[in-house]
Amino acid sequence: MKNMEPQDITLTVNGRNHEIKVVPRRLLVDALREDLRLTGTHVGCEHGVCGACTVLVDGRPQRACLTYAIQMEGHEVATIESVDHEGRLSVLQQALHEEHGLQCWFCTPGIVMTFEAFLRQNPAPDEEAIREALSGNLCRCTGYQNIVKAIQKAAARMRPEQI
Amino acid sequence: MSQAEFHYIGQHMPRKEDYRLLTGRGRYVDDVEVPGALHVCFVRSPHAHARIRGIDATAARGMPGVVAVFTGADLARWTTRLRMAPPIEGLQPMEMDALPIDKVRFQGDPVACVVAGDRYLAEDAAEQVQVDYEPLPVVSSMWQALQADAPRVDETLPSNLLSHQQAVFGDPQARAQAAHRVVQSTFSMHRQTHLPIETRGCAAIWDAGREHLTFHVGNQVPHPYRTTLAGRLRLSESQVTVVSQDVGGGFGQKIALYREELVVAALARELKQPVRWREDRLENLLASSQAREDFCRTRAAVDAEGRLLSLELEIVEDFGAYSFYPGNYLARVVAMILTGPYKVQDYSYDVKVVLSNKVGNGPMRAPMAITSWLMDGTLDAVARELQLDPLAVRRLNMLHPQDLPYRMATGEVLEDITPRETLEGAVAAIDYADFRRRQQEALTQGRYLGLGICTVVESTTYGSRFYKAAGIPGSGHEAAWVRIEPTGVVNASAGLGPTGQGYETSLSHAVAEGLGVPMSQVRIHLGHTDIAPYGMGSRGARGGTAGGGTLYLCAGEAQAKVLAIARHHLGLDSPAVLRLREARVERQSEGVWLPTGLSLVDIARKAYLDPTSLPEGMSPGLDFHKTYDPPPMTYSNSTHVCEVEVDAATGAVRFGRYVVAEDCGTVLSPVVVEGQQLGAIAMGLSGTLYEHVEYDDNGQNLSGTLADYLVATAHELPHIEILSMHTPNRSTPAGIKGMAEGGVMGAIGALCNAVNDALRPLGVVADRQPLTPMYLRGLIRQAQHS
Repeated sequence: MKNMEPQDITLTVNGRNHEIKVVPRRLLVDALREDLRLTGTHVGCEHGVCGACTVLVDGRPQRACLTYAIQMEGHEVATIESVDHEGRLSVLQQALHEEHGLQCWFCTPGIVMTFEAFLRQNPAPDEEAIREALSGNLCRCTGYQNIVKAIQKAAARMRPEQI
Repeated sequence: MSQAEFHYIGQHMPRKEDYRLLTGRGRYVDDVEVPGALHVCFVRSPHAHARIRGIDATAARGMPGVVAVFTGADLARWTTRLRMAPPIEGLQPMEMDALPIDKVRFQGDPVACVVAGDRYLAEDAAEQVQVDYEPLPVVSSMWQALQADAPRVDETLPSNLLSHQQAVFGDPQARAQAAHRVVQSTFSMHRQTHLPIETRGCAAIWDAGREHLTFHVGNQVPHPYRTTLAGRLRLSESQVTVVSQDVGGGFGQKIALYREELVVAALARELKQPVRWREDRLENLLASSQAREDFCRTRAAVDAEGRLLSLELEIVEDFGAYSFYPGNYLARVVAMILTGPYKVQDYSYDVKVVLSNKVGNGPMRAPMAITSWLMDGTLDAVARELQLDPLAVRRLNMLHPQDLPYRMATGEVLEDITPRETLEGAVAAIDYADFRRRQQEALTQGRYLGLGICTVVESTTYGSRFYKAAGIPGSGHEAAWVRIEPTGVVNASAGLGPTGQGYETSLSHAVAEGLGVPMSQVRIHLGHTDIAPYGMGSRGARGGTAGGGTLYLCAGEAQAKVLAIARHHLGLDSPAVLRLREARVERQSEGVWLPTGLSLVDIARKAYLDPTSLPEGMSPGLDFHKTYDPPPMTYSNSTHVCEVEVDAATGAVRFGRYVVAEDCGTVLSPVVVEGQQLGAIAMGLSGTLYEHVEYDDNGQNLSGTLADYLVATAHELPHIEILSMHTPNRSTPAGIKGMAEGGVMGAIGALCNAVNDALRPLGVVADRQPLTPMYLRGLIRQAQHS
C-alpha cells in the first residue's frame, strides 16, 4: 500500500524545523511525543473530547490527537514546552501555580495552550466566558474552580494598565 | 496542639511540584524513554460471556512488525494465578488467570496479546487475531445474578453470591414494632468509573544478567503492588523494582495489579526485550476498574418527633466479573459506618455482593460514597412522612459534643468530630430560613427550588486494628525515612504512591515541622520501591495521617538527635530547652528563644565528618527510619448544603449556592486540602448528574467513549464556598485526621437531597442516580398525571 509508506516531512514546532519520516496515519501527538521527544503534550482520550493534547497550530488551539503529523507541513505548531522562557513561567502558568489550578497536571498542558490563545483574543473575559471556553478540557482533580480563578488572575495581569 | 502552635504546618505555600509540571517536564509512564521497547496491544472479547473455543493468530503473526502473539495458555506457564480468598465468613474464594483461558466474562476481557515493533502495527495485527467464541447466557444485573437459575459468572462457585454478611446490634425489629412509624426508603447508585485523565500503562525492562525487572507504572501502592507482581512472576521481591513517578490521577483505579500489566512484565522476561503498553481511553472505559452500582434499602423506626429508634440496612452490590479485591471490601464499610453523626444503637445490616458479566469493581474515591446519602436521605424520608422540617430532624438525632467519644452500634468509635458545628455553620452560611422563604415565593411562580443537606462522617485513616476487626486482610501502617545530608539538606520518603495530590508539598510541611527546617530545604522522594520504604501506599484518605504522621514522627526523632549533638557541643549537661527552627538551633531563656550560633549545617558536618566529636556512644550520621500504625480509624466530618432549581419542563437541574463546612483536623497544607475538597465535590456532583457506565441486557458496554460516559465540565459545576474548621485528633501525630473522600460523599447526598426537596411539592422522590433530565422529567410527568 503506497499510502502506508513513510514520507519525509518538515514539522515546525516551537520555532524549530524538524525533518522526520512518518507514515501518513501517524498522529501529530505521537510525532511530537515520540519522534521529537516533546512529552509535555499529553494523550488523554485519542478521540478529541478531553483536550489534554491541545497544541497551537498557527496560533489557534487544535487537538493533536485528531491531527495527522503530515497535515502540519507549512504550519507552525506550538507546544507547552514553548510557553515558559528561560525558566520563567508565563503569566498564565504563574497564576495557575499561585491559585493551585493544577493537581495531577495531566490535563493542564491542554488548558495552558487553550488559554494562552484565548487570553490573547479575550483580554477581559467574565467567569461565564472562561467556564464556557474551559468546557473543552476535562480535569478530574480540581473541580475547575481554581483554574477559573487563575485564568481571571492572569487576564487581569496581562491587561495593559488602565490610565 | 492547635493549628496556631505550628510553625510550618498549615502555612499557605504554593505547591513545590508545579514548576516541572507547568513547563511540560513531568515524567509520566508514557514519557519514560525505553530504547528498543516492543509495544503490545490486547485482543479483547466482543462478548460479555462466552466460551473460548480456539484462537487462531496465524494471520496476525505474519503481519509486518509483529514479533509474537500470546494467549492465556502461554501466560499460564509464566505466571501464577491470583487467588482472592481471605478467611472472611460468607466470602467465596475466587481465582483468576493472567489471561482467561476457557471463557471470557465481560465485554473487553483480554484474550490475547500482540507484540510488535510499534503500537500502530500491534493494533493492526490485533484485528487479525481470530477468536472462536461460543456465546453464553449473560448476567447483566444484580437481580438476575441472584436468581436461582442464573448463569454462573464463575463456574467454580455455587452461585453468583460472592459475599454475604449480616449483623444485628440491639433489637431493631422490636424497636420497629413499638415505633410510631417505620419509614422505608430505597437508594440506587449507578455504576461509574474513575476516569483519571492519564489512562493506565506500563513499561517493563528485564535485565537478564542481573535477573531483575524494572517496572514503570502509575500506581498508588508501589510496595504492595511489587509484592503481588513478584509473586505472580515467581520472582523474589528483591528482583523487582516498581517505579511510579508522576501519575495523572488515580482515584482508586491504580491500585491492583491488572492482568495487562502482569502480561507486559512476563513478556519482557520471556522475550528478553523491553515491552510497553499504553491503554487507550476506549480500553480504559471498557476494561479498567469500575465502581459503585449498589441498591440499598433502609428501614428507619421513629417516634412522632422523628427521633430514630432503630435502623435496618440492606445492600446489594454488583461487583462485576472478577475479584481484584475481596468481595466485601467496599460495601461492608458502608454498613459499618452508616449511622455516622446520628445517635442510634439498634441497628442491623445485610450486605450481599454479587457477580455479573461486567468489569470487576474496585474502590473509587470514595468506596463508601453512598453512605451519607443513605443516612441523610433516610432522615429526609422521615421528615417527608411525618411532615417535619428536615433540618429539625437532623438536629434532633445528631450527636452532641457530650456524647463523644461515641461507640456506634457496630463498635466503631467516633471521637474528636464536630458534626453539630459543621451543620450549624453550613446552614447559617446559606441562611436556611431565608432559603425557605425564597423557595415558597418561587413555588408561587411555578418554580421548584430545593435545598439539600448532607452531613458526612468520613472514615479517613484505616489502622491495622480496623482491618482486623472488619475481617479485611491488610495493614494500615506506614513507613518513612528522613535523612539530613552532610550539607544540611533534607531528603525524606514514605511509602505513599502520589497520583497528583501534591504530596511533595504537604509532606514537606510535615517534615519541616517535625524537624524545624524550612520547607524549601526538604525534598520528598516517592514512588520508587528501591528508594521509598515499604509502606501501604495511597488509598482512602490515609496520606495525611499515615504518611504525613509517620514523616512528622520520624522528623521529630531526627530533631532530637540534632539537639542532642547541639547540647553536647554547647556543653549543656542540664536538660536545657533547645529547638531547631529555620535550621538553626535556638535555646530558651526566660521564655524567650535565642540563637545559639549553631545551625543544622554545623551539626550535620559533625555527625558525618567528625563523628568522634559526638556524645559518647552516639552513632555517626543523621539517618532516621520510622514505622507507625495509626489508631483503628480516624474520622473527619463535614456538612454540605446545596441549592438547586429543577426545571419542571425539562427535568434539568441548575445549581444555586453550594456551601461546605469541613473539619478535617490539623491541615498540613491548606492549599492541597482546599484542592482536595473542590475536586472531591466535583467528582460527587459529576457522578450524581452525568457519569454512568451503562450495560445493556446482553452485557454490551454502552458507555465506551467520552461522548457516552459524560463528565461534568467547568460549565456545569457550581462555585463552591468552603468553611474550614480544624479540631485536631488527639490520638494522631500533630492531630492530623486525613481527608479527600468526604467531599464525594457529601456532594452526592446534598445534591440528591436538594433535588428531592425541590420535588417535594410534587409528591415524587428520586431514589436512583444519575439524576438525568429524562429521569427527573419522567418523575415530574408522573406527578402531574396523578
